[in-house]
Amino acid sequence: MMEKIIEIQEVTKRIKGKTIIDGISFDVYKGEVFGFLGPNGAGKTTTIRMIVGLMGISEGDIKIAGSSIKTDFEKAVRHIGAIVENPEMYKFLSGYDNLLHFARMSKGITKEKIDEVVELVGLTSRIKDKVKTYSLGMRQRLGLAQCLLHDPDVLILDEPTNGLDPAGIREIRDHIRMLARERNMAVIVSSHLLSEMEMMCDRIGIIQQGKLIDVQLVNDFVNGEEIIFEFEVDASEKAKAVIQEALPQLQVQQSEVGILVSAVKEEVPLIVKHLVKEDILLYGIQEKHKTLEDRFLEVTNSKEGVAHA
Amino acid sequence: MLRLIQNELMKIFKRPGTYVMIGLLVVMVSVIGGFIKYQEAGGTVPDNSDWKKGLQMENASLNKQIEELKGQVSEEQINYFKQEIAVNEYRIEHDLSPNGDYSIWEFVTDALPIIDFAGMFTIIIAAGIVASEFNWGTIKLLLIRPITRGKILVAKYLSVLLFALAVLGICFGYSSVLGFALFGGPETATPYLNYHEGTVTEQSMFVHLLISYGLNSISMFMLATMAFMISAVFRSSSLAIGISLFLMFTGSQLTSLVAMKYDWAKYILFANTNLNQYFEGYPLVEGMTLPFSVIMLVIYFVLFQLLAHIVFKKRDVAA
Repeated sequence: MMEKIIEIQEVTKRIKGKTIIDGISFDVYKGEVFGFLGPNGAGKTTTIRMIVGLMGISEGDIKIAGSSIKTDFEKAVRHIGAIVENPEMYKFLSGYDNLLHFARMSKGITKEKIDEVVELVGLTSRIKDKVKTYSLGMRQRLGLAQCLLHDPDVLILDEPTNGLDPAGIREIRDHIRMLARERNMAVIVSSHLLSEMEMMCDRIGIIQQGKLIDVQLVNDFVNGEEIIFEFEVDASEKAKAVIQEALPQLQVQQSEVGILVSAVKEEVPLIVKHLVKEDILLYGIQEKHKTLEDRFLEVTNSKEGVAHA
Repeated sequence: MLRLIQNELMKIFKRPGTYVMIGLLVVMVSVIGGFIKYQEAGGTVPDNSDWKKGLQMENASLNKQIEELKGQVSEEQINYFKQEIAVNEYRIEHDLSPNGDYSIWEFVTDALPIIDFAGMFTIIIAAGIVASEFNWGTIKLLLIRPITRGKILVAKYLSVLLFALAVLGICFGYSSVLGFALFGGPETATPYLNYHEGTVTEQSMFVHLLISYGLNSISMFMLATMAFMISAVFRSSSLAIGISLFLMFTGSQLTSLVAMKYDWAKYILFANTNLNQYFEGYPLVEGMTLPFSVIMLVIYFVLFQLLAHIVFKKRDVAA
């Protein structure tokens, strides 16, 4: 059984009478990458700021490794390494001095540990240079180094790939997966980029207008149980009618090049047989993955519909 | 806590601006020194022979003033005249000429206004030390360490004090060295004459200067504390610098203006920052005493600190 490291209990945040976060609860376990997904302004960053103690909690509580961030801040925050939004560092200091600065604020970080972390994020050759000469990618890596100094149990990265090029994004993603797997860290990542989340995360929580509307495993979330097949045919209207008549239990839709049928694998030969029998020209069959984006829009739209009803 | 202060000092001293400030202080002391040296070379040595007579005349006129002004001006002002007379009499009695050669200590005394500039630079540092973290965005990384906000604020304040001590030390040290180099040491160790409750005592010039530095630094210390408070409360270093420097240059004048009409002026911070008024002069408002001023200063200090701490601890960091 996996171990709970973060418990978020009925957390509400009100600023000037306006409810920003409304009764959110979820847990994060060791060794998993938890994605925090939502449109801009949904409350991702506010929630993260509350987890790390930058913002007060109006109601509810957040516990990290059993200690409350509200009442036992020093003990709770010790387990966290975080980048909140951009990793802003002291530009007039060298990368090394920046790390030294933050290392002095936690107990028991040796010079060797600093060197090891620098090595890990691949900044060894530039670490003595001033941060103002760094590229965005290097700053992001320095930010990552800064959160790894004290071997935290939880890593919190707010929009970690913001503004990075594809190579940089990939680098960060690999780092995150490696840390979760090899060091058994819990990683919380927030983003509004769905494709990225799909590649990085084990579980995803969707937040919208300050409410947590769904938490699911990424694989379940993307696929559900049924698969959609696209049949490329010459006469899609006719094909749709044929399938609807022959196999009324299936859902059929017209697409640009043919028809979309949601079915299980065993039903595919049957569909082909019906199409061929009616002299419809079949050019190809493709398994269509639903993307996270489709699912996301589906979930947010339907929940919103419910909320409005 | 030591490591936090180490961090703050690193952030202060790794910025080029800090060295510009220290450089300016050194240049200013040098300019004062050069100017006085130049003047001295052109001027004549003061006439020393008749000083006893001069002092006697001064005492006579002071006595006359006391007679004339009695009842019209405050008790403190009369006391100030009496003090002058007592010091002059002591000089005549012990054969201590007021017209000694210009030497290192006179120079350090003349260079005392440099403290105002040291104070100005301390205010700039104090104003930036919290607000800059917000401007740079580094406050987020700073506050997610296993250290409470209160401790961070205390470390920052102590760092400001250390910086203040450092610049004062530099001013005192450099003006002493320069004074010695330009004007040489005093031929005889002329003491400073201290008047306290009717008696005159001799005090070493060095000790006297240290005390002067200390007393003159009080307003700088209070203003730096205020700048620090504004910095923590409003997160704006320019606001903190603006208000503090404005008050630094106008505060005492404004207070004297108020003091001419209203008695409550004595509760204003700037009526109390100049503790020298109790040692070499008379208080701004009648009835003010040294303990009163000290208590007022403590109250202001606690108020500034409380404000800074309460607001800084409760603040939601959303920059």
